[in-house]
Amino acid sequence: MAIFEISPAIALLPFVSFLLALVAGKYMPKKGAIGGIVATGGSLVLSVLAVIAVAGGSEYQHTYWMWTDSAPIDLSFGILIDPLSALMLVVVSLVAFLVHIFSLGYMNAEGETGLPRYYAELGLFTFSMLAFVYADNLLMAFMFFELVGLCSYLLIGFWFRTDSAASAAKKAFLVTRFGDYFFLIGVVGILATFGTAQFASVGGTESFAAVAESSLSDSSTALWMPDAVSAQQWITGLGLLVLGGVIGKSAQFPLHTWLPDAMEGPTTVSALIHAATMVAAGVYLVARMFAFYALSPTALGIIAFVGGFTALFAATMGSVKNDVKQVLAYSTISQYGYMMLGLGVGGYVAGVFHLMNHAFFKALLFLGAGAVIILMHHEQDMWKMGGLKDKAPVVYYTFLAGALALAGIIPFSGFWSKDEILFDAIILGLDDPVFLMAYAMGLTAVFFTGFYTFRMVFLTFHGEPRSEAARDPHSIGWAVKIPLITLGALATVAGVANLAPVEKLTGIGNATFLTDWLDGEYGGFDALTYHQYTDTAGLETAYIAGSEGTTVLIAGALALGLALAGAGLAYYLYNVPRPEPHVENLGSVRDVLYSNYYLDEFQVALAERVTMPVARAANTFDQSVVDGVVNGSGSVSLFSGDRLRRIQTGVVTDYAAMLGIALVVLLVGFGLYGGWLL
Amino acid sequence: MTVGTEFYLLLSAGMFCIGLFGVLTRRNAIMFLVSVELMLNAANINLVAFSFFYGNVTGQVFALFTIGLAAAEVAIGIGIILVLVRNYGDVDVENATTMRW
Repeated sequence: MAIFEISPAIALLPFVSFLLALVAGKYMPKKGAIGGIVATGGSLVLSVLAVIAVAGGSEYQHTYWMWTDSAPIDLSFGILIDPLSALMLVVVSLVAFLVHIFSLGYMNAEGETGLPRYYAELGLFTFSMLAFVYADNLLMAFMFFELVGLCSYLLIGFWFRTDSAASAAKKAFLVTRFGDYFFLIGVVGILATFGTAQFASVGGTESFAAVAESSLSDSSTALWMPDAVSAQQWITGLGLLVLGGVIGKSAQFPLHTWLPDAMEGPTTVSALIHAATMVAAGVYLVARMFAFYALSPTALGIIAFVGGFTALFAATMGSVKNDVKQVLAYSTISQYGYMMLGLGVGGYVAGVFHLMNHAFFKALLFLGAGAVIILMHHEQDMWKMGGLKDKAPVVYYTFLAGALALAGIIPFSGFWSKDEILFDAIILGLDDPVFLMAYAMGLTAVFFTGFYTFRMVFLTFHGEPRSEAARDPHSIGWAVKIPLITLGALATVAGVANLAPVEKLTGIGNATFLTDWLDGEYGGFDALTYHQYTDTAGLETAYIAGSEGTTVLIAGALALGLALAGAGLAYYLYNVPRPEPHVENLGSVRDVLYSNYYLDEFQVALAERVTMPVARAANTFDQSVVDGVVNGSGSVSLFSGDRLRRIQTGVVTDYAAMLGIALVVLLVGFGLYGGWLL
Repeated sequence: MTVGTEFYLLLSAGMFCIGLFGVLTRRNAIMFLVSVELMLNAANINLVAFSFFYGNVTGQVFALFTIGLAAAEVAIGIGIILVLVRNYGDVDVENATTMRW
């Protein structure tokens, strides 16, 4: 297919816009925005063409550059386009495209300085993410994973002159880097164990997941395997190491602390980070190497448990925040928890489905929040808003669509994917208490999600205006409305991509397009399909009353009922003309939630009480012992040199005498040794 | 009638010792240079004598090279002496001790 031949351009177009904005951004109209829009638009078109080509029954893997080909380990750069990466390419380029358009209204119209830098970083960010998405091996994925981290550091710290932005950027960088450290070890481990990091088995090279699978029955098929542990344990260990990077990037407990602080960046950047890049990278990586995780039930259980816990944990914190962006930040952590839960319970399709839906509705909500911030003359406190419903209907109705999707109200997109995740979790949970716990936490989080989402909606848009800015909002332009309307439509209807409950209950065929898509019904690699993963993982499932239909109904009704209950509570408490901050009634629980369960304090204490003393001891050791040895040997040569140089008198006669004496000594020595003297 | 090789060697050793004595005792740089020349030519005599002894001209060719080398060495030596005179107004080699540590 011709489209695959030019597929490198999907990522390279934003890279060109990055270079253009960097070099000539100052002289370009709109300071580089036009270049960015054209580039991401081009990427979007090419990605859609790639999807069409995959739908036509083809797939693509090509190695473009061999870094080293020293057997037995090859390091290379290539492109892998299969149903998963094609889908993600469209999502990423679409969100990036809309964010670029929105930036015209959010950044350019507000007269920001440093716009060329902004658009350059945005271009580099999009480039890194797109290249990460279609990377054909784990090493390349790791490199672009790191580049994504760097770009988010640059963009979170866009307003680096404020202390809080600079420190938030540093925090994001360091916390995710902590996770990436494990990821790096994992990559090296996988290369050393299986001799390859390819995602897909093509031609003569097998994917590392395939080698891992055969090494389970015969460990000699692996390049190297430690003797102390079994192949199963070693594969679990490698999977968990890579998971470290995922937990850092996708802001899962306990490395989620960077994400709320990352709200210091421009709102457009938050939309990009939360919906399509950076945070999505972690979950996408799990989906990408799902063939590998499917081999380890332990790793899957941990993924599910961490995901379920994070979903609940973050949702509770989101319920008390006053800053509209903070609420959204915690909802992102919580929603990525759902995706991890979905993937962990073997619901590969459900996880990817939610990743896609979340990209649409979270980009919508963040851009909506950006529009609200424009309306409010850069005020983010929800208690100063209110009554914006009638003043900005476009923003209100699109935001509402996003909120309904986020809360998981039927028939908006979020309902379908969240329901599928919870269904996949409960059928495992009925058989295994660990999965049941994860499911219970995920289910409880549905209630909180409904609550905080509608608390945000009611406080922002309903009631009476509570400040001067809310009474007289700033106007918004077309550059703001177009992305909102596009994403609003997607958030509403994207659920039809996979109406699994409908198919299961009514028996209507072909309602689960996404399942077929990810199952290789169109194009794709045989080893990278949903049923293959399910077979490999072999997780035991059970149904309520032994009937799939009953289970679907009960699980769906429970999730929907809890979401409506949460939304109803928010309606009761906050949909009044003059809402009160009811958090006061929570007493000491409020303090805990406001302080984010003291996790920041705990991490700071960990750094100050544990890491600092260790570092100090190491420093002392370095200064005294290591430096002592080095300085000691140095001073010995200094001293001996100082003594030895005194024979250099500068008088030629002395040198001649030394030469003469040496000659005589040499002659006598030779004479004695040779036996002709004495 | 030819002179025995051992006499040439004696002559050469004597010249070398005279040269060495000059190098060790003289402070005048020009005398120094002359003494070095004596030592070099002592070596030349050796080369020629052995060449004659073995009936092989290689040694004589070497002697020619050494003479050429000596000419170059003298040129440099006189250059150094000129600089000595410019800097210290004298040809005493013991003055030039300021370049040491």
